[in-house]
Parts: sequence; structure tokens; C-alpha cells
Amino acid sequence: MDERTRLLDAEVGKTYRVREINTEDDDMNAFLFRLGCYTGEPITLISKKKNSCIVVIKDGRYNLDNLLSEAIIV
Amino acid sequence: MRIAFAGNPNSGKTTMYNALTGRSEKVGNWGGVTVGSKEYQLKKEYSGGQEVIAVDLPGAYSMSPFTPEEGITSEYVRTANPDAIVNIVDATNLSRSLFFTTQLLELGIPVVVALNKSDINDKEGTKIDVAKLSAKLNCPVFETISTEDKGLADVIKTAISLAGSTQKAPYTQADINLHDKAAVDAEDRKRYDFVNKIVADVEKRQVLSAETTKQDKIDTVLTNPIAGILIFALVMWFVFWVSQTWLGPLVADWLVGWIETFQGWVAGQLENSPAILSALIADGIVGGVGAVVGFLPLVMVMYFLIALLEDCGYMARVSAVMDPIFKRVGLSGKSVIPVVIGTGCGIPAIMACRTIRDERERRATSMLTTFIPCGAKIPVIALFAGAFFNGAGWVSTLSYFFGLVLIFLGALLIKGITGYKYRKSFFIMELPKYKAPSLKFAFRSMMERAKAYIIKAGTIILVCNTIVQIMQTFNWHFQVVEEGAEDTSILASIASPFAVLLIPLGFGVWQLAAAAITGFIAKENVVGTLAVVYGLTAFIDTEELALTGGANEVAMTMGLTSVTALAYLFFNLYTPPCFAAIGAMNSEMKSKGWLWGAIGLQLGTGYTVAFLVNQVGTLITEGHLAAGFVPGLIAEICMVIALVLIAKKVRAHFDEQYALHKKTANAAA
Repeated sequence: MDERTRLLDAEVGKTYRVREINTEDDDMNAFLFRLGCYTGEPITLISKKKNSCIVVIKDGRYNLDNLLSEAIIV
Repeated sequence: MRIAFAGNPNSGKTTMYNALTGRSEKVGNWGGVTVGSKEYQLKKEYSGGQEVIAVDLPGAYSMSPFTPEEGITSEYVRTANPDAIVNIVDATNLSRSLFFTTQLLELGIPVVVALNKSDINDKEGTKIDVAKLSAKLNCPVFETISTEDKGLADVIKTAISLAGSTQKAPYTQADINLHDKAAVDAEDRKRYDFVNKIVADVEKRQVLSAETTKQDKIDTVLTNPIAGILIFALVMWFVFWVSQTWLGPLVADWLVGWIETFQGWVAGQLENSPAILSALIADGIVGGVGAVVGFLPLVMVMYFLIALLEDCGYMARVSAVMDPIFKRVGLSGKSVIPVVIGTGCGIPAIMACRTIRDERERRATSMLTTFIPCGAKIPVIALFAGAFFNGAGWVSTLSYFFGLVLIFLGALLIKGITGYKYRKSFFIMELPKYKAPSLKFAFRSMMERAKAYIIKAGTIILVCNTIVQIMQTFNWHFQVVEEGAEDTSILASIASPFAVLLIPLGFGVWQLAAAAITGFIAKENVVGTLAVVYGLTAFIDTEELALTGGANEVAMTMGLTSVTALAYLFFNLYTPPCFAAIGAMNSEMKSKGWLWGAIGLQLGTGYTVAFLVNQVGTLITEGHLAAGFVPGLIAEICMVIALVLIAKKVRAHFDEQYALHKKTANAAA
């Protein structure tokens, strides 16, 4: 699986590896890092809605808005 | 000796702190409940006779703060030199938590790790090798369950015994230039690698985190944009209905009966005393304070229900489902939490805004959140609903709903004035595991609130009522005001100039103006003062009065129609909150401009809403505009002009700033 895709367009129920994170906001990138969301780490898309999605990072569940899921490349 | 409690958000720090100190600080099942540090002595059974102060800190994911409340924690552990640190770790998310743990271990202060929520791990079959973890981290580790007081004694005993010693860190960050972003990133990555290795070694999971569970199915419904919002509306309606229309008034009726009996007894005891003294004590003190205390059950029931909501994990979902709507008006999904907390009290609601990262969103939320009627406004709502609207439930529902509408409108206004800022507003919220809400905690939260309410009634409200009673009994020559000459009293002469301003709103009499003014000290005062100035202490029994026709009597005495009564109610609900809440706004906003803007906006909103309700309502019910339409209209036009001028000034400043950035950018290029 070599295709790069935004988390926004990823498939529900699948676990991906984070390839790149670029929110154009250094503090936000650093915050995601501290949650365990950084290049090479697994991320699972649990469900997707119009404006947001729920993901699993490490052992926690988070609700992300589309602005964030656009910025996470898997 | 000081022991600091630090750890990730929602790991159970405050629950542990409460158990160890016997305090009842606010707890809830979402990240960011605690937004400031709190300290208190440990209970004797835990401290072993020594004087030990426990310090509860806001949750943090690491030593580098992201939101303002995280900064409090890193600042404290870095600079306040606690004698030991208890690091509370959410055992269900060991892999994330240990990142912060390893940073704490580097400080040199002895650390004891509490693997909290270990009951959930037992249930899910997750096993953590405590001895191995302790060896790898080079510090004592205990499994704990804060909610059941399990393991807490071991943690605290060990922390006390280690206090003052030095901690050897299992992992030390290399000496790097902290300004070099790439180097910092690389170091953080190494730290996570170290943590990941430990976790792989000590943790065995049966349920993988990425598997879809029952909880995810609930989340699908609760965070669904349509169903989720409907459910939230229904839940809140249920809370208000139970507390203010059904169970609350039921208990209140019973309580009011006792208060009246007591008041009668006091009046009987004072039969032979001077009339003034009897009036002061029986009507002013007992009557006025009693009027406020009579509504206590409504507030208590609501606190109980809100505490249940906060404890089960629902708040994070509400925040998530409301984010798109709130974002549209320039706020954030995190603004929902202050709004819900604000139904209880505006001060913690304003403080809860600290978890909002964006400064403009944070200030706007703390400015608007008090439009939601707080617990102190419940007596005001209940009084007016009972006296003028037959105790109709819609008055309270409308008050809350309209408060929410004002928040949206206010947010749009602020967005318009400050100009759109080209900054992305991200939303990320951890969704904690659901848990059955603890009745014990909800009960404690309710009793804590009741205690505060009664203390307030017995101090601030009592003093205010006494002063009001004295001020209306005497004139400026300190002679007792004669019957029929009430307008010469000190109170009347002070309140009358304000009353003139209120004529366009339909309630330009000094009694009502005085009540609105005392309301700024504490909103319950509105009820207390009305009871005193109209000598209508019996009307607190709103349900009864509605049945016996006494409500008419109240309505007659106050000289209000149902339209002007609604205008007066709304005026009191949507003007600036009490001084204490304004103080909280001041310390959260950290800007005089924003603070005065907030007070101006709230005054303007209260005035405008009351003006519209009175004029439009009178037009509909009586076919003509109410008195003072033209002066009121002029006042409104002045407000609009002021708004436009402020907007212009703010935007000019904004353009200036923006231009400056551009210039420097060009220069750099």
C-alpha cells in the first residue's frame, strides 16, 4: 500500500501509518506529536462524519475536525 | 511538605486529590476539568501526623504547554520545587502517559507513579507488569482506583517517605539547543521510542484499542450531526424540566411551608418589639433570605443532574457534535463545556474557557457564556414564571434557549467587530471511555452547592436585604418614612434616576430598578430585594399563589403586565452577571478593552432585549407602542453607532497589524 492519502479520504475501520503531518501550525503539530500522532505511528479511522471523524491514536480515541484530518497524510 | 499531583488530562488527579484531602473539587469525565492549581492538607489517616499539602494541578500531556491551563502545570513542577510528585497515569493509555512521566522523572524530584483506572484494565483483560515497570522507570509504581480509594494509601505513604530525596532519571534528554526545532523533534522521538519499548515489555492487552466496541456504536449516534444535537437538546430540556418544573418545585413547596412557619414564629416573638425592628427582622432578614432559600431545591436538583452528565463521559461528545455549529459563529466546540457548566455558576464556566487554545475564541466564550442563566438566576426565573405565567414551564425553557441564541448572535457580532482572522481553528477532543455516573459524587456535588448557596444567602444576601430594608425605611434625615411617602426613602431617591432609564423597557419604577442593581452583587438579590421592597414575602410560594390567585396580587403590587414582567425578567437574565463573575472575566481575558467590551455588550444586550420585548409585546397585546419608545430608540441608535465606531477602530488596528506583518515579511524576503 504505497498510495498517499489524506486521513480525511481514508477508509473507515482501517489502520494506517502516519506519513506526514502538516497543519501549518508548529504548536499544533507538536501537540499531535505528544498524543503519539507522528510519522511512522499507527492511526485507525473508527468513523467518519460530514465535518469530523473519530480516530484511535495509541490507546486513546479522539474526535478530529476535517481541518485536522486533511493535514494528516497516511 | 508539598506533594504535587501531575499527569495527563482525565487521568483522575482531582478524584484522587479529593479522596486524600476530603475536599470536593470539581471532577468530570473529560480532559480539562481542572483549570487551576488547588492545594489542601492531606487527611490525617494518610499523612501519618505530618503536615502534608497536596497540590492538584491541571492535566498536561507534556512539559511544553499547548493550552493555558497546561502551562500552569509545567510552570508549577518546574519552579515551585514540590517535595515529591505523584504522577497519575491513566493505565488504559500507558503508551501516551509515560511520555510525560519520563519528563517528570528528569526533574530530579522523587516521583511515585499511580497506575490509575486499573479497574478498567482488569475488566478489559489488560495486564501491566508493575514490578517490571517500576524497575524500568526507576521509581515506585502502584496500581490504584481513585474512585474506590484503592491503593491511594500506598502511593501517598511512599511519596512522603521519598520526599526530599533525589530522583534518578531512566531517560535523559541529550544536551541540545532547545531553539532548534529539528533537534527537539528528534529528541522527542527518541523519548517516545524509549516509552514504546517499555510499554511493549510490560503491557499485555486482550482488547486492542483499534477494535470497534459497543462504546463506538454509542459514539456514532451521539456525534451524529442531526441525532447528536437532538439528543443533546432533549437531555438539557429534561434536566431543566425535572429541576425547575417537576421535582424541584415539589420539594421547594414543602420547604417554603417551613420557612413561612418560621417567619410567622419570628414575627410572633417580636410582637412586643418596635415595629421597625419587627419589620427589619421578620420581613427584611427572614423574609428576604427565605425568599431566596425557598428556591434552593431547584438549584440542588439541577446540580445533581448536571453532575451525572459530567461524570458519564457525555460532555466530550457534546463538544464534538456542537463544534461545526459553534465554529460557524466564530467559537469552538470547546465553548460548549463552559456553556453547560454555566447553567450552574458563571464563575467556573468562565474559568473553563482556559482549555480553549485560540485567544479570540477564548475571550469571546468567556464574554458570552453568562448569557446562559446560572443557578442564581433560577429563583428569578421561577419567581416570575410563578407570579406572572401560572408557573408555566415554557418561561424557563425559553430563558435558556434564548440565552443560547444570544450566545450565537453575540459570537457573530464579535466575529464581525474583530474581523476575520486568517488562522485555522483546529478541533481535537479526546473521547474518554463512558462510565456509569457515580451517584455518590453527584450527591456530594449537590450538597457542596447547597452549602455554598446557604452560606451566600446567610451572608451577602442577608446583608444586602438588611441594607435595602434600612434604606427604604428611612429618609435622608434618618426619619422613618411615613406610609404613603415611600418615594422619599433613601433607596427610592438613589434608584429613581436609574428607573428613568428603564421607562422604555416598561419597568421604570424605583423598586424594580433597585432590585436590578442589587442583582449585580448576587443575582439572587433580585428576588430578595423585590420581596423586601414590596413587602411581599409570601409570594415566594409561587406554586401556591398561582392556585390561590395570589399571583394576581403580586402582579398588581408590582404594577407589571405579563409583557413588562417578561421584559424585566430578560433584562435581569441577560445584563452583566454578578461582580464576582465579572472579576473572573477580567482575570481570564487579561485585557481591559475586552472586559469593557464584554460589560458593554451585556448591558446593551439586556437593554435591547427588554426594549424589544416590551415594545413589540405591548404593540401585540394592546395595539400601540409602549411608553418611552422614542427615547429608547435613540438609546438603541447610540448603541449601534458605538458598535460601528468600535468595529472601525478595531479593524483599523487589525489592518495596521496585518500591514506590519506583510512589511516584515517583505523585508525578510
